[in-house]
Order: sequence, then C-alpha cells, then structure tokens
Amino acid sequence: MDRAPAARAVDAVLSYLLTGLSVGSVYAMVGLGFYVMWSAAKAVNFNFGDIFMLGAVLTVVQCDLGIRLLPAAALSVLAAACASAAIERAFVRRFNREANAVGWMLTTIAVGTMIESSTTALFGSNPRGLPTPLMERPIRLAGAGIYLQELLLPVALLVVAAGLEFFYRRTVTGRAMRAVAYNRVAAGLVGIDADRITLLAFAVAGSLGGLSGVLIGPVIQVSSTMGAIIGLKGFLVAIIAGIANARGVVIAGLLYGVAEKLIEAYLSTAAPDAIGFSLMVLLLLLFPQGLFGKKEFQKV
Amino acid sequence: MLGVKESLGRRGVLGMCAALAVTLFAEPVLAQRAEPCIGASWEMTGPLANTGASLRIAVETALDQINAAGGVLGKPVRLVIYDDVGEPARAVDNARRIGERDNCVIMMGGGRTPNAIALREPLAEMGLPWMGVISAGTTVIEHQNGKNEWMFRISMKDRWVTCYLIDQAKRRSASGRIGMVYEGTAWGQGAVPDLEAAAKSAGVTLVAKETWNLGDQDMSAQMIRLRDAGVDTIILWAVDRKSANMLRSMDRIGYRPRIVSAWGLTTAFAKAVGPLAEGVMVAGTFNWNGPLSPKAQAAFDAMKAKFPDRIHSTTDLEVPSGMANAWDATFVIAEGLKVAGDYDRVKLRDALYRVTYDGIVATYNPAFVRGDQEKMDAILPTAYKLPAFNDGVLKPIEATPYDLRN
Repeated sequence: MDRAPAARAVDAVLSYLLTGLSVGSVYAMVGLGFYVMWSAAKAVNFNFGDIFMLGAVLTVVQCDLGIRLLPAAALSVLAAACASAAIERAFVRRFNREANAVGWMLTTIAVGTMIESSTTALFGSNPRGLPTPLMERPIRLAGAGIYLQELLLPVALLVVAAGLEFFYRRTVTGRAMRAVAYNRVAAGLVGIDADRITLLAFAVAGSLGGLSGVLIGPVIQVSSTMGAIIGLKGFLVAIIAGIANARGVVIAGLLYGVAEKLIEAYLSTAAPDAIGFSLMVLLLLLFPQGLFGKKEFQKV
Repeated sequence: MLGVKESLGRRGVLGMCAALAVTLFAEPVLAQRAEPCIGASWEMTGPLANTGASLRIAVETALDQINAAGGVLGKPVRLVIYDDVGEPARAVDNARRIGERDNCVIMMGGGRTPNAIALREPLAEMGLPWMGVISAGTTVIEHQNGKNEWMFRISMKDRWVTCYLIDQAKRRSASGRIGMVYEGTAWGQGAVPDLEAAAKSAGVTLVAKETWNLGDQDMSAQMIRLRDAGVDTIILWAVDRKSANMLRSMDRIGYRPRIVSAWGLTTAFAKAVGPLAEGVMVAGTFNWNGPLSPKAQAAFDAMKAKFPDRIHSTTDLEVPSGMANAWDATFVIAEGLKVAGDYDRVKLRDALYRVTYDGIVATYNPAFVRGDQEKMDAILPTAYKLPAFNDGVLKPIEATPYDLRN
C-alpha cells in the first residue's frame, strides 16, 4: 500500500523505536548480568557474551536432537547458569582474592576465547536459524512491522527486572547478596558465606545471559560469534548506567538501543558504535560513577 | 715423489674447481625442482571454515582420481593443507612453509581476497605458482604494476562479476531503480568502485547505496531508505550471516525487492532464513542442482563416495561454485605438469599457458594467456551463471519461476 511521505516517516520512526526497544532490552539484560556479578564480587566475567551465545547455541543443538523448544530453552538457561558459576569458581575467585586484583580480567577473556573457538569447531561457523512460532511473520503496529519475538524482549526484560527486584528485597538469599555487595567482610562476620553467595550471583547472571541468547537467537541467527559485540555493548550499558544500579542499567540499555537505531537511520550506519563508545568515555568523564551510580565517599 | 704431490695438488685444485662449478651452476636448477605436492592455505577454522572444508573435499577427491590413474609423471600428487583462519599474515606464513619447507610445485588459494593479495610479493620472491579458486578480487590477478607472473585463477573476477550483476539487475528491474547493498569489509567496499563503473558503463544509475558493519544485527534503517527510494532491484555484495539479517529486516517492514547477489551467499544462507530465501539470485560459475554433464556427475559421485558422512545429495555442497572451480583447477594443474614434463615450478608456470582442458565449469582452450594479466583468469564472463533459491535449494534459474523467460 503506497503511503504518503509523512505517514512513511512516522512509520519509520515507530519502526526504529520498536526495534531499538527490542535490541535495547537485550543490552539491558546482558547489562543486568554484569550488574549482578559486579555487585557480588566486584569482578565480572568478560566472556559473558559467550555465555549469552551458549544459551542460543545449546538450544539449537537440542532442537536438532529432537527436544522441543521450550524444554530446550530451559535446559540451555540452566547450562548457561552452571557455566557462569564454574567460571567464577575456577577463574574469577582465585584471581580476585587481593584488593585491586586484575588477574580475573585476563583469565575470563582467555576462557571466552576458548569457549568461542571450541563452539566454532563443534557447532560450525555457519549461522543457524532458531525457528519459533513468534517469528513466522511480522505484525503491523500502525505502519511499522515487528516480530512478536522482538516484542517479547522488552516484556521479558520487565519481568526479569521485577523478578530481580523481588529477589533482592524479599528473599533471604537476595538480602544476603545485597549484604555481600555492600560489605563483604561484614557480611562474613554475620555468618553469610560470601563465596557461596558470589557463586550463586554468577549463576543468576549466567541465567540472564543464557535467557537473552535464547530470546534474541531466532531474530539474529545463532552463531558462535554472536556474543562478542552484544557482550561488549551490554558491558558498555552497565558502565554508562553505573554498574551498581539495576534500574539505571535497564533504562540505559533501552535508551542505548533506541539511540543506536536513530543514529543508524538519520546519521550514518557507520556511526552508532563510534558514537556509542565516545559517549561512554564522555559520560564517564562527567559522571565517574555512571549516570545513575552513587558517589562513593571515603571516611577518614 | 715430488711429482706425485704436485699431481695431487693440481688434481685437488682442479677437483675443487669442478665441484665449485657444479655447485654454482647446478644450484639454480635444484632450486626450481619441487616436490609432487599441491600446497594450500585455506580457512579451515574461523567464520568461513565451510569454504576450506568444501575445497578440501573437491581437491582431495580430484587428486584421488588423478593418482588412481597413475599420478602425474609417474608420481602420486599429494595435498598439503595449512589453516590460515582467514588472516592474511597467516596465509603468508603458510605460503613460506609451502614454498620453502615443503617445496611444493604449486600453491592453491582459498576464499579471501585480502589473503591472496598479501601473497603477491612472497610468491614472486619464491617463484611459486599459485592457483586461485575462489578469491575473486580483481587486483589478485591484475597487479597494479602490471607484472603478475605467478598467480593464476580459475574462479570469478570481481570486475567481470560487477558487469554481469549490473546487466542482470537492469534486465530484471521493472522501474529501473536499482540499489546496491554491500558489507563493510574489504571485499564489500572493494566492489563499490567496480560496481559504480559497471553501472555507468551500462547506463544505469544506482539510486541508493547501503552498507552495514560486521557487528550489525538489524538493517531496518537501510532497508527503509531503499524502500523509500523506490528501489525494486538490489545488487547484494555480502556473505551469509548478515544477508540473513537483511532478509529479516526486509520482512519486518514488508519490503521485498528482487535480489541479485554476488557469490557470498551459500546454502547456509537458505538454511538460516528458510522461505525468505525464495527468489534470491546468486551469481556463480557452476550449479550442481540440476542436469549434470557426465563429467560433473562423476565428480559428484566421487565426492559423495569419499565423504559419505558429509555429502548425501548435491544440496550438501555448501560452496558449489568454489568446489567446481577447485575440481577443474586440480586437473588443470595436472595437465600443466604433464606439459611441463617435470616437477619444476618455472616449467609448470610456463606450461600453464599451453594447457587445454575440458572441465566441468568451462572448456579451457587455452586456460591462460601469456602477456595479458586480464587473461590469467581462466573463466570468462560468458561462463557465469545466475541460479536462484527455489524451495530452499539453489537451482539453475531455468528450472525456477525467476527466469526472465517465465
């Protein structure tokens, strides 16, 4: 149907907003994973993008073996959680004992390279589709098109964010995690096993990463390299927001996704990453704790 | 007594001079003698690992047939493969191994144009002939200094492909509004000047040009601009992964122009996007999914027999044109060695200009022309084909609804 230029322009903006919210939700979920890890350990898993990738790849592999989509997705999320916990135990904890320790950065990056290479060797280098009923055909909202799978992403983000909020505020384990995040030593003094809490935090983060991969895989095709850029952008979003503020991470992720689409549409397709990373540097200069982070005061 | 000593001394000196002469004059001859092996630097791991695996299938099977018939010059020819992971620096290292350590008589190229371009100087320095079978960049063969002596190719050439695609797009476009979409890599960006020149030459105006970055997952913005520019036919210059995302972006906004693509799309593309691949046309040199000549059928049957786990039907040949090119290239090399009469790199290089061979892709008569860099590409545009995806399979276009005659 031929629409007037003004109507087409509105359709285009709506399209950018919808796809921006969709991809921004993925960045926010990955960013939340970084938030959960940082809160518990003051360290993150720099191969978190590969955990995200594993969620999608394992789902495809299970579907190939005849397992139905939903159980396959659930098992993949569980596997991603276990992988993240294992990485914390083997590669983060032992290199994060000292104050200002940075060895965990290198080890997690190294492990990420190994995961990606192994996945390429076993899964193959070709992108694979992950068919779901929500990708069969796009729906029209006004004149803009969007897949139901993409609309699921912001919904999932809100559910995850609400779930995390409930977990941290209303459950004993969640409060223990907050205690460890606030003061690890003091938490230990009141009987909280900080190491176990940190392990659990990484497992929760891993489940978030795996879930993100399962949800976005049908939209962008599944491959062994799908996690690298998204992992980096999720980290960028967490840093811009202030990595210790969950609500800020959600807001920053959504805003970043929409901004990315608008920059692609009205400035240049080459510009989003350059602008995004420049923005991160600028914001950190102006707000060292991130946009929503709290200034830390040292009492002397 | 003194005489004997003097004789020994004179004889000794004469002997030493003779040995020195043999060393001085024989050494260049020995340096050109080579081993009966074809060295290859292919991407066996990495994003395009399927190209390396596919080339290995074709060349190993072809060599099996050659060796079963007695080899070349009475010797079996072996294949030595090194993985370059798609990186030019590794391709150069591999070339040195092939040329200096393994001393193979010829090297075969892989999929990536930047890797082939990085080899220009090392190959000339070592005097090692090279046979390309995929990497289609124009300057791989047509060197800027005009002095290509060692690099040959049985594959497409980007400058000819661009003319071919422009012609096909022009014939298929109802409105005349043709756009170009290319990936933001050296291969994609390198095609832009050639496409623009070909368009100008054909009297075609490219009304829109869009690209994307390697990390991009959604191309809605690019597709909206193409749609709003009224583009009804797109020339695509990209590989599987991002092209699949492009098709999804088109589906999302309800925009579906005709798509005429360079040969970056393989069967993996159709598997990833399913029915969205319908009607996408992909330039190539050969298509296995249709009536095959007896020679081509025998080639397929041999590959299937040798790799039964990987190949069950012709649709399992993931890089169809590349595999056919590599098949012909192997036999052309064998013929070249026969004409040369020796496992000698210089003689082989000179013999390749005298090879005539009836291959599965084309009839090479001769394969290459001396003194004309342009003609060190054996497959001419008249042999190019444009199959189309139909029901998930890349078929000869005559067997699909997308032939211009249908």
